[in-house]
Amino acid sequence: MTVLVLAVTVVAGAVFGATAPRLSRRLPPAAATWLMSAGGMLAAAASSTALALVGFRVVAQTRPLTSRGHWSDAVLNQDDPVSTPISVAALTVLAVALGAGLHAVLTGVRSTLAAYQLAAEVGGGELHVLDTAQASALAVPGRHGRIVVTSGLLRRLDAPQRRALLAHERAHLRHRHHLHQTATMIAVALNPLLRPLRAAVRLSCERWADEDAAAVSPRGTVAQALLRAAGAGAAAPAPVLAAAVDDVADRIAALELPAPRMQVGRAAVLVCVVVAAVAAVGYGMHRTEDVFELAQAAWRAGRR
Amino acid sequence: MVDGEPARRAAGDLESDVLAALWAADRPLTPGETVEAIGGGLAYTTVQTILVRLLGKGVLQRELVGRAFAYSPVLDQAGIVASRMRAVLDSGGDHEAVLSRFLGTLSDDEEHALVELMTRRGRDLS
Repeated sequence: MTVLVLAVTVVAGAVFGATAPRLSRRLPPAAATWLMSAGGMLAAAASSTALALVGFRVVAQTRPLTSRGHWSDAVLNQDDPVSTPISVAALTVLAVALGAGLHAVLTGVRSTLAAYQLAAEVGGGELHVLDTAQASALAVPGRHGRIVVTSGLLRRLDAPQRRALLAHERAHLRHRHHLHQTATMIAVALNPLLRPLRAAVRLSCERWADEDAAAVSPRGTVAQALLRAAGAGAAAPAPVLAAAVDDVADRIAALELPAPRMQVGRAAVLVCVVVAAVAAVGYGMHRTEDVFELAQAAWRAGRR
Repeated sequence: MVDGEPARRAAGDLESDVLAALWAADRPLTPGETVEAIGGGLAYTTVQTILVRLLGKGVLQRELVGRAFAYSPVLDQAGIVASRMRAVLDSGGDHEAVLSRFLGTLSDDEEHALVELMTRRGRDLS
């Protein structure tokens, strides 16, 4: 039974990772971001818990625990058979996943603290301008978030486009996109099947900020600002995202259509996948508790 | 996060608009020119108040041009912050996730690819 539960969470994770990016592109980006970041965390928690349930069997059957726990092996193997190799494999995978997850948490904390520190050091008002020809704009989260823009970028934009740019960056800070991205990073570390969510959440956060900018500027203006920002670059040997081109094209295409409306069907599919994984684990935990109680009772009755 | 009551938040937004316009300009601007530079929409007196406030914060400097004051951004604020940013970005950790960029910086090839993509979709890149 616990092995079946694990299988469900693995399939759910794979399905979520494979379909969420595509399905969420049709959704309002705010909803898409929440669905993927929260859904990803739940899916990762579910798969990790399921691994623990399967892995617990071999742990429960080690001498120190059986002498303390007094469970009947026979009952355990009858009610919920879990072969030792599978249990050991689950434990190993769980150990690796938890290690990766912890690393992701620490990295996220370190980066966030660095950002908060930078925001505090930048000081002054909301906007800080770096005098350099390279075109760049960053939202730095902090107790008081800052927007750092280069003069190079500002000189490429006219007044409405500058307003759109600032509105976009403000949105990143207001909606705390760094938390969504960090949460997704942790989920992916715990469950690599969720890997596609990382790029998808990054894109949906950008589109979310674009939509906020489009609330105060015409959609065409926001698109133009994007295009102008992408225009003839100065010598900038900065690390480049290979996906950058696709992302920008996606964002501009989205701005050329009206704001996307909520599509309950697509959202419901994603929610159902996550609910299935969580429900399976909930059931698995409940049944495991029952099985161990039965095994305990059997031990007391003399059955080993 | 810019917090505070709505009124103060709006003022902070306006300051950013004015500051951005002054940086984008190629010369110091008078209050009247600043109103134009931000695309109108703000009263002359409001803009003048903002310019003076930014002057007080040390973010702007001003010079007499004819009989009016013309404002321009103070340039040396770049140095310290730029080096701090470099230090933060070099310190490891996953900055991609935490610092949201408006645009991932594109290489020449990627710019070319973007232009092609857009042209194929029949967009006018001007």
